[in-house]
Amino acid sequence: MVKEIERAGIPVVHICTVVPISLTVGANRIVPAIAIPHPLGNPAVSKEDEKELRREIVLKAIKALETEVDGQTVFDK
Amino acid sequence: MDLENQKRVLELSEKFGKENVVVVLGASEAETAGLAAETVAAGDPTYAGPLAGVSLGLAVYHIFELKEEVDADVYDEQCGMMEMVLDVDAIGAEVKTIRDQYSKF
Amino acid sequence: MIKVVHYINQFYGGIGGEEKADVKPEVREGVVGPGMALKAALGKDAEIVATIICGDSYFNENLEEATAEILQMIKKYEPSLFIAGPAFNAGRYGVACGSICKAVKDSLNIPVISGMYLENPGVDMFKKDLHIVSTANAATGMRQAIPAMSKLGLKLAKGEEIGSPAEEGYIPRGVRKNVFREERGSKRAVNMLVAKLKGEAFSTEYAMPDFDRVAPNKPVLDMKNAKIALVTSGGIVPKHNPDRIESSSASKYGKYDIEGVMDLTEETYETAHGGYDPVYANLDADRVLPVDVLREFEKEGVIGKLHRYFYTTVGNGTSVANAKKFASTFAKELVQDGVQAVILTST
Repeated sequence: MVKEIERAGIPVVHICTVVPISLTVGANRIVPAIAIPHPLGNPAVSKEDEKELRREIVLKAIKALETEVDGQTVFDK
Repeated sequence: MDLENQKRVLELSEKFGKENVVVVLGASEAETAGLAAETVAAGDPTYAGPLAGVSLGLAVYHIFELKEEVDADVYDEQCGMMEMVLDVDAIGAEVKTIRDQYSKF
Repeated sequence: MIKVVHYINQFYGGIGGEEKADVKPEVREGVVGPGMALKAALGKDAEIVATIICGDSYFNENLEEATAEILQMIKKYEPSLFIAGPAFNAGRYGVACGSICKAVKDSLNIPVISGMYLENPGVDMFKKDLHIVSTANAATGMRQAIPAMSKLGLKLAKGEEIGSPAEEGYIPRGVRKNVFREERGSKRAVNMLVAKLKGEAFSTEYAMPDFDRVAPNKPVLDMKNAKIALVTSGGIVPKHNPDRIESSSASKYGKYDIEGVMDLTEETYETAHGGYDPVYANLDADRVLPVDVLREFEKEGVIGKLHRYFYTTVGNGTSVANAKKFASTFAKELVQDGVQAVILTST
């Protein structure tokens, strides 16, 4: 799905847990997520901490969308 | 056949004795019916459940094969509609093939 | 006697389903689950001495550590053949089988083999590294997969010559073998062209690889004023899944209006996806589709606007062809609606 959206001309960032799959399939902007059943969450911590974690990941995704890339790039810093 | 049901079939066959248990299936497709029949007669062919490698050899039928054993009105009420839309012959044939091959009772 | 070690996931290991996908690797002596079928197929030439069981999520969330851990477990048995799966179309399972097979091959230098459905992500990732027997897309194909895997596995273990993918039943690895032909290449090419022009059947001597890469689009320059849309393969849908999106092999996608929705709650949203433990997503769907955070960013001026519609489908075993079809269709709508960037989330 990521490639079709890219093909339509819209920059797209893939937030996913199993990064190697995203790389193999061909996403260009990738942001690693937390876990398979909760990519943007963590039930083990408080609601506030979880929200903070989610904000961090989405912010990374937004930064990725603002970054020029010339090939597949994983944004994990 | 899902794991829960495999477990139940296994327990019932141990409780009542394999020769005293008959499994009656209601699957709507030949392939599904065949797999369920094979599971209780020869063992789980997907090797995912409690009947993996366990050959109970149970007698197994599809309800369509037992039309004559059931009160006509009850059968009509419960199965009449399904009999019209499903491939009765294919389903019955599939289950019979499995039964002939693997059922011991 | 060829010593074999077998790898399976928590489901075939009889430990449990998705709720147990986080179990750490363990070893059992002898065969477990499908190993029973492999044992019968392998016959007297080989013996499965141990079975390693590991949770699919644990493996995929800890790729390096889990691989190392499992490698240690396998080493102890000094096997001369390693078999993983078959994984059919289960994505995480396929990735696990491929990863471990590759690691075993590289560090223990013994033959390895697995079995997967062509669209399993593990295939694209690992087909070049090992022989993957081509299987059906579900466990109903176990009866065909097992004999194929054990036959090829024994051949590999005995050092016999392995034939072409078509002959042996494995997925093409992209290996090119030079052969001699009776007729000159130029003649064969012309014959092929003539057959093509006549509308007759012909078969290529070299199938073109399908790269299908898409160049990245330019970044968003003015994020503060940009319209961002959310898309997910995690199956987030309004409570009760009104459009009945399937829990696996989805035949459709959903388009839902979140105008005025600031947060996804347990009462209003859920997941339809059957390929991961749904507990956490059902309690708070923001954990898969981060609407709450994007609404905060809207308010704080980080982004201009969150698009009023989100698109969702279930990625579990859904065919590549369908996924492509869904996205190329809704991508047109996204363009028409002036969406400038998309955040796509996957589990």
